[in-house]
Amino acid sequence: MSIVARLEPRQLRPEEELAALIDQASGDGAVVSFVGVARPHSKHGDAVEQLVLEHHPTLSQRSLEDIGIEAGERFDVSHVRVVHRCGEIGAGEPIVFAGASSAHRRAAFDAADYLMDRLKTEAVFWKREDGPSGSSWIEPTEADYADRGRWE
Amino acid sequence: MSERKSGCRVRVLFYGRLAEALGAELDVSLDAGSSVAELRERLGADHPYAEDVLRSRRTRTCVGDTLVPDDYRIAASDTLEFLPPLSGG
Repeated sequence: MSIVARLEPRQLRPEEELAALIDQASGDGAVVSFVGVARPHSKHGDAVEQLVLEHHPTLSQRSLEDIGIEAGERFDVSHVRVVHRCGEIGAGEPIVFAGASSAHRRAAFDAADYLMDRLKTEAVFWKREDGPSGSSWIEPTEADYADRGRWE
Repeated sequence: MSERKSGCRVRVLFYGRLAEALGAELDVSLDAGSSVAELRERLGADHPYAEDVLRSRRTRTCVGDTLVPDDYRIAASDTLEFLPPLSGG
């Protein structure tokens, strides 16, 4: 079992993360990955030029590690990989890569789903949308908290 | 003669929308033995525009990178950090 959990301040290249995960996963029958991408519009329809992900000097990295390790413990997976951007992210750029590999597909699907539900509400970041009409802080919706609650 | 409470000054750090509203850092004078709940109330009274976030149960408080509950008693050497609702992914 391996866990990769990384805070990425510059550029996230999902294709490289997936290639690394597939490379690690030799012998497994399933690799599942999710890529979160910055949307060009807010939920109110306003244009968003960039997303700013503020992070904590120690707790952001630690939260990624904790979530990755707990996914590895909870599901029958061989490898878990979480890479999360911080800083300024242009619309259309990737924010997060969450992936897992396993002998059979179900554990990898479940692990990726779990990783994202935990990351949305418990990864230590603060998200702000900047656009021509101003800036606004984005917080998880009640649906996000409910999704997190599915795993309790 | 009434007993006078001794005071202490603590450093308080803020992130996200709280840093935008209050600044990244404040020095706050407190009565010795004050709780995190009392600090939240005090900050909310001083900064009413941020009171909802300061009082939210989803705003977490840390001392030395460890989450502390609202009844945690603040020591003079503590640096407290207020983390407004987290939003990753």
